[in-house]
Amino acid sequence: MSLAAEAFVSQMAAAEPWPESATLYQPLKEDQILLSDCASSLAVQAYLRMCGLPVQVVCKSNAEYMSPSGKIPFIHVGNQVVSELGPIVQFTKAKGNSLSDGLDDVQRAEMKAYMELVNNMLLTAELYIQWCDDATAAEISRPRYSSPYSWPLSNILAYQKQWEVRRKMNAIGWGGKTLEQVYEDVTQCCQALSQRLGTQPFFFNKQPTELDALVFGHLFTILTTRLTSTELAERIKSYSNLLSFCRRIEQTYFEDKSS
Amino acid sequence: MGTVHARSLDPLPMRGPELGVQPDDIEAPEIEHEPKQEVLENKNVVVQQVHIDGLGRTKEDLLTYEIKEVFRAKNLIDVMRKSHEARQKLLRLGIFRKVEVVIDTSRGEGALPNGLDVTFEVTELRRMTGSYNTMVGNNEGSMVLGLKLPNVLGRAEKMTFQFSYGTKETSYGLSFFKPQPGNFERNITLNMYKVTGQFPWSSLRETDRGISGELSFPLWKTSQTLKWEGVWRELGCLARTASFAVREESGHSLKSSLSHSMVIDTRNSSILPRKGGLLKIHQELAGYTGGDASFLKEDFEIQLNKTLFWDSVLSTSLWGGLLLPIGDKPTSIADRFYLGGPTSIRGFSMYSLGPQSEGDYLGGEGYWAGGVHLYTPLPFRPGKGGFGDLFRTHFFLNAGNLCNLNYGEGPKAHLKKLAECIRWSYGIGLVLRLGNIARLELNYCIPMGVQSGDRICDGFQFGAGIRFL
Repeated sequence: MSLAAEAFVSQMAAAEPWPESATLYQPLKEDQILLSDCASSLAVQAYLRMCGLPVQVVCKSNAEYMSPSGKIPFIHVGNQVVSELGPIVQFTKAKGNSLSDGLDDVQRAEMKAYMELVNNMLLTAELYIQWCDDATAAEISRPRYSSPYSWPLSNILAYQKQWEVRRKMNAIGWGGKTLEQVYEDVTQCCQALSQRLGTQPFFFNKQPTELDALVFGHLFTILTTRLTSTELAERIKSYSNLLSFCRRIEQTYFEDKSS
Repeated sequence: MGTVHARSLDPLPMRGPELGVQPDDIEAPEIEHEPKQEVLENKNVVVQQVHIDGLGRTKEDLLTYEIKEVFRAKNLIDVMRKSHEARQKLLRLGIFRKVEVVIDTSRGEGALPNGLDVTFEVTELRRMTGSYNTMVGNNEGSMVLGLKLPNVLGRAEKMTFQFSYGTKETSYGLSFFKPQPGNFERNITLNMYKVTGQFPWSSLRETDRGISGELSFPLWKTSQTLKWEGVWRELGCLARTASFAVREESGHSLKSSLSHSMVIDTRNSSILPRKGGLLKIHQELAGYTGGDASFLKEDFEIQLNKTLFWDSVLSTSLWGGLLLPIGDKPTSIADRFYLGGPTSIRGFSMYSLGPQSEGDYLGGEGYWAGGVHLYTPLPFRPGKGGFGDLFRTHFFLNAGNLCNLNYGEGPKAHLKKLAECIRWSYGIGLVLRLGNIARLELNYCIPMGVQSGDRICDGFQFGAGIRFL
């Protein structure tokens, strides 16, 4: 299909209202999903709940390969398939749902900068700990990642994934970092987020934005996921405003709906 | 004394049809020119020695199986016939470029007056042969490199390697073949491969990496093959616009299967046969030896040919297959059957009938297809006895169906389902045979019984392939 035709189709899709049957796909929650994927998936779920868009979460062992970009999570809305938070935000905006419309240009630029910070620091740190820390990779990441497959495919796929992530880490200059340096990066990132948040309920005052969804997704997942060491969670726990921020979003958007 | 050269026989194709050589054919003309003419035909002779000249890396024990019959010969005609058979056997091993037979009277110590020596002068194939092709097809161009090592260990083992580098995909395969010495039809083959295929009718792309081991042996009139195969299959969407049903099938799976196939082939040629029949049964059981895919697959093919008046041939064929999932997992899109196209039910687009989702064909768990063809020579027979014999005109009638079966319903319901909404087509066309392996067809087709969702090719359709309904 040509680019113009594709653009036309997405325009047409944008005109349609958000269907009740919208679905979000992620790996198996109990046995398979890893910290970084869980965080990204939770961020998208938080974002859609903030927008008031209903979505049904479906766990599929091949979610990663079903996703058009190969990344978790992706949503299936009507006959459109969109993956990752950024494109999903664009997609909902085209459908008339946006959280950042109230912001001015400076604030919007600031929001984008902080989102980049979270993706570059927290997400990368999660990937580092999952796949570059040998203890975590051997005890948690590889067994969980390969759980849906039978031997020897399980080993092949797990090591292939690990190799791929390590190559990426080397490319962005994280390959030589020690675990302690990574924890230090996480601390600095949290420091910056904590300062920006201050005593406000959300990053940009009273209204949540996609930044809030992204930060919540990552911090909440780190705080509630058991790893080989609790060091990562401990680093976050020293910022009390971030902790109460997580609790607040959880209570507002997740608890009342699930009960 | 008279030396008889059997080299006047044409070199035979390695796997060509047996030339029924009559003793008259090889009666040597040279004897007549000898001054001391002696009629050896009915004289009892003894084959005292058999030499094989020109051996390099071939192990002799392999050849003793092939030539031992020569020692049993009792008279000269017998010696010639047995030597000729031995020569054919040697050529069939695929390790010699040339084999010549020289029969002479025995000389030296201990030579009997009626003793003969048979010498096979062989030329071995090179240690390694290579080939290079370019191929265009499927919206892709590729370069194919092939390497063959005949007789790699000295006992007719063959190692082949093929590497295809395309604009989109890279594939390769390595195979090792070993026949049992003295029983060439009984052989084992080991394979290792990576193959990538794009299937636009399903918006699917499949990469298979696998290993397999195969044992072939003749049994009565059949040829049997037992095979184990382990394949790591990676499925993906060909485009972003692929239907969600295909998207859901994406990802990795491991198939480990045992399969058995049986073939009886009495046809005189595999492409455009004039007489004889073919029965092929294939069954595959996956899941019992590991892997994620569990199913039982049964597949058969029958073809009967009969020559009628004026060189015309009536050919009928019937195909059918069933795929039964074992356990709760549904069958994979990669294991299901596909039907339609110029090599099966003509008049429909390639693999474009049956269950589909948003224009992507998902294949079915049960199918049957039948065809009746009347092949005739070209009208007015231009180029008779030469180029024109490569062509045939044909009238055809094809029918078939492909659907999913709900296995709770019982066999009667399945039969009913396969008998509903039958797709069929008829037409007329031109067939060109390419060597003894492939054929091309240009047909004018009229598809009938079209169901909604089927993609048809009304009018002229071109087809190329190896296996035709």
